[in-house]
Amino acid sequence: MSDKKRVSRRQFLNYTLTGVGGFMAAGMLAPMVRFAIDPVLKTQEGGDMVSVASVDEITNEPQRFEWTIDQVDAWYESEVQKTAWVYRNDSDEIIALSPICTHLGCTVDWASNEEYPNQFFCPCHAGRYTKDGVNVPNTPPTAPLPVYQHEVRDGMLYLGDAISREGA
Amino acid sequence: MRFAKKDIGQYLPEKEYIDTVVIPLVPFDPSSDKNMEKQAFLRELNQVFTNVIEKEYRGRIFLSPDYHYMSDGQDEEVERINQWIHHFREQPFKHIFLFTFDMKWKKYEKDIEGELIWVPGLQTGDLQSTETQAFVKEQAKEISELIQSYW
Repeated sequence: MSDKKRVSRRQFLNYTLTGVGGFMAAGMLAPMVRFAIDPVLKTQEGGDMVSVASVDEITNEPQRFEWTIDQVDAWYESEVQKTAWVYRNDSDEIIALSPICTHLGCTVDWASNEEYPNQFFCPCHAGRYTKDGVNVPNTPPTAPLPVYQHEVRDGMLYLGDAISREGA
Repeated sequence: MRFAKKDIGQYLPEKEYIDTVVIPLVPFDPSSDKNMEKQAFLRELNQVFTNVIEKEYRGRIFLSPDYHYMSDGQDEEVERINQWIHHFREQPFKHIFLFTFDMKWKKYEKDIEGELIWVPGLQTGDLQSTETQAFVKEQAKEISELIQSYW
């Protein structure tokens, strides 16, 4: 055995300590890095905006638009169908209302009752809402229809979460 | 409303508003290879239907757990179905509908103490296809109009 190939005691200790030290440092840093970039790795659950319709389609008359989102809860991942009533109001702003009746959760329809052609009507217990989604007093609902967060990008309407409003 | 803890919690204090039950009647027969696929398809189709109806009218319609039975057992089943209906009436539910694709029930309609809604289903198909979806949407609308006419 030549002397050159021999590893001295000093070198051996050096290698070993660097190796072990490296492992320890990596063991400490990995969770910290993971923690720092965690928001990037996390899957989105709600809160993101979904493209629903082209802005050109939206008129002064409420129209029903449907889209699906993936919903994840503790046990299932499922596709959920969402619906919105969308129209332009008199000041040309886009309004997107949730169709879920604030009484017991039926789906309301626009102008489906002949007596109230300019209101949202709930077929279950005759709850009514005016065009801006505010509940008509003396009908069962106690709060206005929730409003979707919305955003217009590249001529498309994006809708986010429905925000509840206080009762009238 | 469904038979789930969260929905029941909402149902109990608001009983007076939820006066309608839909019971899905679902046949199956695990002894026959021939029928299993078709029955499985109709079971899924039944679920799609009742889910659509429940979603639109959840504030007034309670969707009962499925009523399963052996596909040729109508004779003996009538009594058990009526038992279900009696128990639902004690809640009290006013309108009780039984929803099925199984035409054999038609003959027993008069013995059943609820309203039978028999819909000729699709024999087979693909639940994801646009054709099936259009069929379900259209039929579900008709059925809910029928239910509304009883309110």
